[in-house]
Amino acid sequence: MNKLFDFFQSLKLTVWLLSLSMVLVFAGTLAQVDKGIWNVMDQYFRCYIAMIDLPVFFPRNLNIPAIQIPFPGGFLIGWLLTINLIAVHSQTFKVLAKGGRRVAGLIALLIGILVVVGVMFGWGTAPVAATEDDAFWRVFLRLGRGTLAAIVLYAACVLLYRQRAGMVLLHGGILFLLIGEFMTAIFAVEATMTIKEGETVNFLDRSQQLELSFTETSNPDYDTVTVIPARLLKDGAVVEADALPFDVKVHRFMHNSTRPQPLQNVPDQFKADYPQYEGFGSRLYVAETREVSGTSGTRNAQAVDVELLDSDTGESLGRYILSLWMYPNFVNRSWDMPTNFTVDGKNYTAYFRFGREYAKAPSGNPYSIQLLDFVHEKYEGTQMPKDFASKILLVNEGDGVERELRIWMNNPLRYARRTFYQSGYLPDDGGTVLQVVRNDTWMIPYLACMIVFVGMAAQFIQSFNRYLRRGA
Amino acid sequence: MKRIISNSLVVLFALWFYQSGVKPPKETADEFQINAFAHLPVKYEGRKKPVDTMARNLLTILSGKQSVRNADGEKIEATQWLLDNIAGTPKAMDYKVIRIENLDVLTSLGLEETKRFRYSYREILPGLGKLDAASRSAFSKEDRDRDLYDRQVIKLANKLYMFQNVLGSFEDPSGIPGEQLMAAAQRYMQLENYSIPLIIPPSAENGRWRPLMSSLLTAHPAMSGMAHDHELTVDPLAIHMGVMLAAYREGSVDVFNQQLMEFGATIQEENPAAFEKISFEVFYNRFNAFMKSAQLYLLVFVLSCFGWLFRKEGLLSAARTLLIVAFIPHTFAIIARVFLSGYPPVTNLYSSAIFIGWGAVAAGILLELGFRKKAGGIGNLVGGIAGFSTLLIAYFLAGDGDTMEQMRAVLDTRFWLATHVITVTLGYMATFVAGTIGVFYIISGLFTRRLDAETEDGMFRMLYGTTCFALLLSFVGTVLGGLWADDSWGRFWGWDPKENGALLIVIWNSIMLHAKYGGMVKHRGLAVMAVFGNVVTAWSWFGVNQLGVGLHSYGFTDSASFWLVMFCLSQAVICGMGMISPGRWKSGATQ
Repeated sequence: MNKLFDFFQSLKLTVWLLSLSMVLVFAGTLAQVDKGIWNVMDQYFRCYIAMIDLPVFFPRNLNIPAIQIPFPGGFLIGWLLTINLIAVHSQTFKVLAKGGRRVAGLIALLIGILVVVGVMFGWGTAPVAATEDDAFWRVFLRLGRGTLAAIVLYAACVLLYRQRAGMVLLHGGILFLLIGEFMTAIFAVEATMTIKEGETVNFLDRSQQLELSFTETSNPDYDTVTVIPARLLKDGAVVEADALPFDVKVHRFMHNSTRPQPLQNVPDQFKADYPQYEGFGSRLYVAETREVSGTSGTRNAQAVDVELLDSDTGESLGRYILSLWMYPNFVNRSWDMPTNFTVDGKNYTAYFRFGREYAKAPSGNPYSIQLLDFVHEKYEGTQMPKDFASKILLVNEGDGVERELRIWMNNPLRYARRTFYQSGYLPDDGGTVLQVVRNDTWMIPYLACMIVFVGMAAQFIQSFNRYLRRGA
Repeated sequence: MKRIISNSLVVLFALWFYQSGVKPPKETADEFQINAFAHLPVKYEGRKKPVDTMARNLLTILSGKQSVRNADGEKIEATQWLLDNIAGTPKAMDYKVIRIENLDVLTSLGLEETKRFRYSYREILPGLGKLDAASRSAFSKEDRDRDLYDRQVIKLANKLYMFQNVLGSFEDPSGIPGEQLMAAAQRYMQLENYSIPLIIPPSAENGRWRPLMSSLLTAHPAMSGMAHDHELTVDPLAIHMGVMLAAYREGSVDVFNQQLMEFGATIQEENPAAFEKISFEVFYNRFNAFMKSAQLYLLVFVLSCFGWLFRKEGLLSAARTLLIVAFIPHTFAIIARVFLSGYPPVTNLYSSAIFIGWGAVAAGILLELGFRKKAGGIGNLVGGIAGFSTLLIAYFLAGDGDTMEQMRAVLDTRFWLATHVITVTLGYMATFVAGTIGVFYIISGLFTRRLDAETEDGMFRMLYGTTCFALLLSFVGTVLGGLWADDSWGRFWGWDPKENGALLIVIWNSIMLHAKYGGMVKHRGLAVMAVFGNVVTAWSWFGVNQLGVGLHSYGFTDSASFWLVMFCLSQAVICGMGMISPGRWKSGATQ
């Protein structure tokens, strides 16, 4: 047991772990020549055992066999470093203060933690953090808040650890940063919002989660929407929904599908076993295809091949192919292909689409965003983009919010614990695509950065002074 | 007294050195006023600049140099070369300015290998069809399937297309017969979708910058018959410019000079803002501070080598003065770039090289002043060699065109450019400085007896202190980069290659410090580790760009890969030398 403890307490372990992390980061960087960033992240960094592809270290034309080497992954190295850090500090950096000084130190520490928590959850900041002015003051204030927390914590460390205060503080900051990244890896959620000029949108597209939706439109006052999440759409499964007068039989879930093309343009050998579809499938050819790699800049267009069965008789009501290609937000609003059909005299519209999350403020009230104007500026005499900006109207009637705001490059809107970034645009600048991120720990890096900076600077100034005094 | 005289001599020498070439060659009244033409404003690649800058950049892209020799071997300034081309004088075809170094490309164009690897347009003309076909077939391939020949062909073809677009924008449509005007108008509209020089500044009637050819087209006599609904106004500025170029082609000096005067006077009257910063930029170009400082830094290095090895205090002192004197124009030129471009000092690879050099020289001066007694001369050596080599790198990076280019939308934020980019660049700089000290430590210890106990101790302290700074700067810089990413697209850390490169520097510096605190390495070990830090930094500075992925990749050259590998190998060799047991060191077992 003691041996294990000694092992975790040695700086040698630190050096080894850091060296391993260098190899991992290096390999993970080289791997991005072939693979998409999300694949690399899962394969190298956000895992306990990484599988390093041997060929990444060599020029690609040497045709090195694709051997995978197991290696400690990002999470494993991170945890070991954390244990190592705590073990070393518990041994080397004992609390040096006694009596009143210790009490004062602990109180200061408590205040420091309170400030950190306050900064993290945005106490004293506006609920709609729009950015009419320059990035300068916004970021500066955030870093300023981080510095405030860092200075309080530094005071606590000075009281508790005397001349080792800087060391303790800076390593505390590193630990905080690691924890923050771990939380982000697990909890952060990314979505998009696609809005045409003049249009009002009240939902987010969760592109990592797909769903099959049926909208019943016979009632003039409201629509009834039934969704089946993609995880239920397994090959061969029959999904029953109470609200629907039919069951959905899944023939095939396709992880990627071809761009729809007119059936008459397709060579006969492909048409031979093409199912007899109703709807778009009767005119267009959509087939399963290989998944795309991340570097190609394109994304998978999942599709489902389903058959509707009468709930009572089990009789077939037609077979349909529904692909993401038919969902307008997937193709930047260039196409919109709703699948329409009638069952029991009721009209249904079906899409296979991104998971839809209706926009809701923390108070529970829904909000919506209208795109008033989209601006795409270029430098004079070039095609080089100078600026993208969306002028929007944010409305939340329940909370009494109605504000005209501007979201542009490097200047996002923060609202309802989400951040809205200018990310893309529709063809002919006809609308905007906003990236919407929810990451409750987003302030941690700001805090950690300043904590480490204060700790490190204090430590170096201290050694420098000592050196000067010795020299004199 | 002797010291004062020698230092004054050094300063005088530097003054003479910097003033040379600033003044333009004299032009008499009966010669073309080319210098005045060089001072005209033009909007190209999104930035207003003097014609002088545009000419230099175009010439650099084509030939790799800022001036050219004519058939008689006389040196011709870039502006005159450009003027010959846009006016369409016959001799424009004969300037040997197109650099082609790849032998396969030369053979396919039917050209002989020559000493300078530079060819005139007339020589290339017969092979142009072939080049076009080859570049099309190369372009249709996937990036990974292209071989060296394909890449060189694409590069050459792109340069020529770019230059043809530039020339096309100065075309004079007055000779086009009426029935072909519609075709010409269509061609011009297409050309306007590319990046072309807009030589006609906003005037009283027209608020936009515009290219010459379209403005002249509206003045074409046959056009007035075609305009049914809207009135076509003849643009006086365009007329002046058109006549000016025609006069240059015909060789009529008086007309050229007079039209040039009127063109300038009209702008001065209607839109004086167009001339803002123009003269200063021409001065900046002619001053050429970075190249001159680079040469002096090399001199500093050589002087310091002798002074240090043979303990000549006088030489060291002169070198110290020269280092400081050369540092002043270097600083000035960086400030001038900030003023001219309106951006913080580091915006691209070129400016990062200049800035790293600047930081390294500043660090060298500080180290020299701080350790004058213990290890005098080391700061000179570090500042001299680092300043020289980074400015040399910058010189080679300048071949891509305008070094003060406009920033793409996502990168266009002065706050982050001023904080993250500066800090992380200084982090690179400090790591390089530590590595350079490490190199001197190993070389001098192994091959000379100069590394005595006192010097050794001084160098170790420099090394250790610089590494601490490097860690602080690279850590803060890297985290600030993450914060930029968080602020721009909501992802603090995305494992983007450039981010990873910076992270590797942070990790390596922290490994060095932990190894020292843990007693795993002593002075010599730390020096070896510092040298490896050079490899890590070079990789994240340049190697990452060679991968061709990531949002940050802004530079790519094939020869850069070669030199990067060479540099890394050389550093590895020095690391190996550092690991030779101290018993075999000439300076003995100091460590």
